[in-house]
Formats: sequence, C-alpha cells, structure tokens
Amino acid sequence: MTDDTRWYLLFASRQEKNLVDAFNLLRSAGIEPILVKGWASARNYPETRNRYYTDIDLAVSGEQYDAAAAGIAESGHRLGIDLHRELRQLDTTPWEQLFVRSVCLNINGTPVRILCPEDHLRVICTHWLVEGGINKERLWDIYYAVESRPNDFDWERCLNAAGPIRRGWTVTAIGLAHQYLGLRIDDTPIRDEALKIPAWVIRTVEKEWSLNLPLIPLTSCLSDPKMLLRQLRKRIPPNPIQATVEMEGRFDDGARLKTQMSNVFQRIGPLFQRLFRLTMSK
Amino acid sequence: MNNPQFPTARKSGLVVQEVPDEILVYDLDSNKAHCLNQTAAIVWKSCDGKNSVSDIAKLVETEAGSKVSEDFVWLAIDQLSENNLLESEIRSAFSGESRREVIKKIGLASMVGLPIIASLVAPQSAMASASCACVTTPECIAKTCPTTICSLGVCGTTA
Repeated sequence: MTDDTRWYLLFASRQEKNLVDAFNLLRSAGIEPILVKGWASARNYPETRNRYYTDIDLAVSGEQYDAAAAGIAESGHRLGIDLHRELRQLDTTPWEQLFVRSVCLNINGTPVRILCPEDHLRVICTHWLVEGGINKERLWDIYYAVESRPNDFDWERCLNAAGPIRRGWTVTAIGLAHQYLGLRIDDTPIRDEALKIPAWVIRTVEKEWSLNLPLIPLTSCLSDPKMLLRQLRKRIPPNPIQATVEMEGRFDDGARLKTQMSNVFQRIGPLFQRLFRLTMSK
Repeated sequence: MNNPQFPTARKSGLVVQEVPDEILVYDLDSNKAHCLNQTAAIVWKSCDGKNSVSDIAKLVETEAGSKVSEDFVWLAIDQLSENNLLESEIRSAFSGESRREVIKKIGLASMVGLPIIASLVAPQSAMASASCACVTTPECIAKTCPTTICSLGVCGTTA
C-alpha cells in the first residue's frame, strides 16, 4: 500500500465522520438536508482511484435555511459545512420534487441523504460547467456518475426535468467526458447528440486546462497584487462556458461575445457591493 | 494520572482506519496523520489501562508468534506517547539509553518487526484535486483542506 492510498483512506474516514456529524447536527435541529457533490460523487469512484473532497455541501429548503445556519453555527465551520439554500443556480427543479426523489445511503449506521442518480448527474454537470469547465480532474465525477448508473436509470428524468436549456448543458458535459476521458455513451439515448459539442466549448476547456490556474475569489486576492492581476486576467473576458451558464444561455454554435458582455454587466454590481462591504468592514 | 505500567490508548479526537497489518490514525486536534505498523498497532490496541507492560508483551508474542521483550513494548509506548496517542504522556523507561541504542539492541534480538509509527503527509494529488485554492493560510484552515499551509495558490506543504 502506498502512502497516497494510506492518506486517502484516512482522509475519507475523517470526511465521513464529519459528514455523519453534520447530518446529526442538522437533524437535531429538525432539519433534513441533502448532500450534493463531494461524497455523493466520490462514492461512484472505483476503490483504486482517490477522489478528494474538502467541503460538505448541504442543501436545505429555503424555509429552513436560516434555522439551519443558526443550528450549525461554529460547529459547521469546523466540520467544513457549506450550507446552500436549495440548489440555487445548480438546478431549476422544485426542491420538493428533488427531496421526494432523493435517496438515503448508510455511513457507519447513519443515513445520509443524497440526490437520486438522475438529479445528481444533471446537477454535477451544471456545477462543472458553472465553474467554466476549468477542472479537468472533476470531469471524472461525470464519467463515474454515468459509468456507475443503476440499471433502471431514467434518462428522461435526468435530461428533461430542468428544461431544454439545461438538457443541452448536461448533454455537452457528458459529451466532453466521452471525448476527453473515453466515457462510453453508445448505450445511452444521447450517443449522437453528445458528439455535437460546439467548437467554442472545446476551445474554452482546452485553453483552461493548459492554463491550470484555479479560480480564487477576488476578495481573497486583495492582499496579493500579483495574484489579483492573474485572477483579473482570468476573468476578462469571462469564460464563455461560465458566462453562458450564468446567463441561462443555450450551448449552440452562436457567437459568445454578447453573452460574455451581458455576464460582465451582471457580475459587476455584486462585485462592487462585495468590495464595498469588505472595505467598510476593515 | 495514568499508571505508566498500565498505559491507556487515547480514543477521543481520533479517526482510526484499520487496514491489513496496519492502523492509520488521524488526530483531529493536531491535524496529523500516523501509520502504525503491525506490532505498534498490537501494542496500541492492548493499551486498555488494565494490561501491564509485561501483559502487553505476552499479547504481542501471541499475535506476532515470536518472543518479545518488555523493552520492545516500551519502544512502542515511547512512540505512542510522543505522538499523543495515549491518554497521558508516558516517559520512556529505557534507563538512560537513547532510542537508537534500544532499537539496535532490540532489533538484533527480535524476530518480529520493530514497532514503528510513521507520519503521513498529504500527497500532492490531494491538494491538486481538493479545490483547495487559496491566497492565505487561514483560508486553508477555514476550508479544512488536507494541509493548512497556503502555497502556490493551493493549500499544500511545498513551495
């Protein structure tokens, strides 16, 4: 056994302990969360492949969000909980529907609620794209979610539950996993559709993967001018994939400039608000 | 106060993962990871506050299938204590000899592997794939990344 494997086994155990503690904490406040990404993706990986995750992304209903935030308070920070008010931009399916379809799996005797495989795949595709497709390693999440899908996987539910635009996003992300990681799609209903990836998507991911620069919040770079400059250069012009997803646009062959410009205007207001708040707090 | 002759393994604040021939331990308080080899693991599991050092030596003999001395057990206890894996700190009972000298002495006489506790360091792959992007070290701590030093834009250990 290598030290990498030893570390991963231990790290996974620690994260599972935190995960169980996080669920118990919220349940003690009468709140039932759904775990998204992280462990929910890692569980699909084969034993021979290490999939690290640091945050515990827990989504709760809009009505319960404030109570959940108060419930986790300081412990949430220690456990690495990233609390979400439903799935926000990650999905448009009503929360109640996602919740009814969600499934509980067992970790050391504690049930942990995750999205059903169909919703999970759609959501991780959107998440990967909303980050601009910059993380090639995370494309494996999509690969293994498709590879390990159950026999009764409902493609109709996965692709069409959140509307035609998001169907296009999901198909494109799966298509990229096919093109770059060799994901088998010939036994899926999107085998032809997934091959038609717009050229600008290909250009974007290949450029991002060659840059290999993680996206860091600008507010975190204020004390490091060099990093701030690199992060600004990364954002201007905005990543076309990210801009399209944030503007709820279609992944068609059309030019992206208008979408990117609109995205800049959409982002500029909140950015100044954040900077203003940060300056005032200092 | 813990009786050094009856050491007790620490249980709280640890994540323990048993794998064939080893025990992996993550200390949640210090954020350090350790790997106990087979004999160190047997000694640690035998430290229940009721077994004396000579009892533990006999248990190691039974499990490892070969005779071991009390110094052998003390060597394990010394490392367990140093890595904060016992309920309370226990000073080594090597009567003036250094650990190196004791290892030499026991190693020559022993037919089983010496007890070893190795530190585990987060591999680069953990940092690269764990979305541990950062600018300052406090961010790494806040994100509970595998390691808590911010370097090259990720929470890592090397520059």
